[in-house]
Amino acid sequence: MDTSMDFTLGLSQGVAWPWPIAVYLFFAGISGGALTIALALRFYLGQVENTAFLKAATLLSFVTISLGMLCLVLDLTNPLFFWRILVFYNLNSVMSIGVIALSVYIPLVAVVALLALEKELMAIPQLKFLAPIIAKLKGFRRPMEALALVLALSVCAYTGFLISALIRFPLINTSVLPALFIASGLSAGGASAKMLAVWLFKEPLHSGEMKILHGAEWPIMFAEAMFIFMIATALLTGNAGGQFAFAAFHEGVWASVFWIGVVGIGFAAPLLLNFATGKHFSHSAKAFYMSGMCAVVGMMCLRLFILLAGQNYAI
Amino acid sequence: MSENIERRRFLKSAGMCSLILTPLAGCSVKEDADSAHKPHYVMVFDQNKCVGCGDCKTACNQANNLPAGVSRVILEQQSGRVEGQACPHCGKMVCDCERKFVRVSCQQCKNAPCVTVCPTGAAHRDAKTGIVTMDASKCAGCKYCIGACPYNARLINNNTDVADNCDFCLHSKLSKGELPACVQSCKYDALIFGDANDPQSYVSKLLAVKDSVRIKPQFGTEPSLRYIPIVKLGV
Repeated sequence: MDTSMDFTLGLSQGVAWPWPIAVYLFFAGISGGALTIALALRFYLGQVENTAFLKAATLLSFVTISLGMLCLVLDLTNPLFFWRILVFYNLNSVMSIGVIALSVYIPLVAVVALLALEKELMAIPQLKFLAPIIAKLKGFRRPMEALALVLALSVCAYTGFLISALIRFPLINTSVLPALFIASGLSAGGASAKMLAVWLFKEPLHSGEMKILHGAEWPIMFAEAMFIFMIATALLTGNAGGQFAFAAFHEGVWASVFWIGVVGIGFAAPLLLNFATGKHFSHSAKAFYMSGMCAVVGMMCLRLFILLAGQNYAI
Repeated sequence: MSENIERRRFLKSAGMCSLILTPLAGCSVKEDADSAHKPHYVMVFDQNKCVGCGDCKTACNQANNLPAGVSRVILEQQSGRVEGQACPHCGKMVCDCERKFVRVSCQQCKNAPCVTVCPTGAAHRDAKTGIVTMDASKCAGCKYCIGACPYNARLINNNTDVADNCDFCLHSKLSKGELPACVQSCKYDALIFGDANDPQSYVSKLLAVKDSVRIKPQFGTEPSLRYIPIVKLGV
């Protein structure tokens, strides 16, 4: 039959997942990214002591994932119903698999942080009761850290899989999204853990560990930029739905978030701060904190852009 | 590489392939045999007959006790004319030419994304009828189903704070042996409902002789709502 029919009205108004979900994706990415970098570095260098960076990363990881959970629960139509998601499971659902991963990940992060921050916590008299627990847990430290590393990467990737299952949004429904979210999680998580290590745990700005981390940042950032480029190209050269969604990159408020937030603050600013300024400035604490903050802000803008611009260009 | 495949190697690979594929083939045959005995409820919306009176919507709201401002079904009014320009048919700036309506509601997909993504199994397929419906006591209100539905045909019910969809009045009417409320209330016979797997049903016979279309079939969701479009060309 040479005719078709369509409707444009919908039964629910506005976007299904508003900005708190973008904040959740941001926190989960920071948590997974920071822990992945810290544990990967720990295994790579064969460290056994509690380094400042490990302390910072585990603490940050636990705090951010907890805040992320808060966003998630508050975004439910009735936050009191959150227990249902913990009781009923559907293994076909990405979200359900994520809940299983998170319910192992969160306590594991708490334990890994507890062990990393042993000295700091034992200095507080009220927490002395934790000493026998820490002593018992120490025996399983290595396998627990290995599992935490796998789960941290999974949490980063999971946030990508979670939203890429939404088939009517061409910008979101791409197979590159989990990889993009891992890359951006690693860069922002690494940057924020570095800042916390220097600020709170007094890690010297130019220690050997910091040098390795600085060096790892540029390839990760390059991968991130490439994944974004892949998504944009796939939309531009794709079918009508994809080409419609490509407009997200060049019109409206979300295009500004992308070009100013993601590209300008997230990519260009750290590059300029580190390579376009004199050696004296680029090695200063000021430049270190500024480029770290840029990476974090850029990642937040990226999650906002993908989630909200994505939902605004539905087919 | 040589064009001739060694006989022995060919037999070996053929054997391996059949070993791998046989159990898979078994799976699909079993599934087909099961679904052959199950009903497939479909609804046909005839655009030629719908006048846009909205009785279907009122009947639905009553039958399913929906709160004010919430609907499981709405009608979209469409016309060929561009806002602010004269009508191409009658030349007037305001007219009723070419007015047509489209039913907007859950498309009852055979391959339903909302059922796949629902983390709690609240959005599920009714075991007996195969109709996509909700178990409100399991829904956590995460809105994953709303984002996943390619038709934006799912909603949040403000009374229960959980997701909702048109389920052909499964609990309110069908379970009592009645037709869905919208079908009952339609004075113009624009809605036809029945089991497409039953060759004797009226819908089966109708679909056999009438051309019908489905909304956004390219998503591969296999919707169970069929639409008969207006094909009248010109006056």
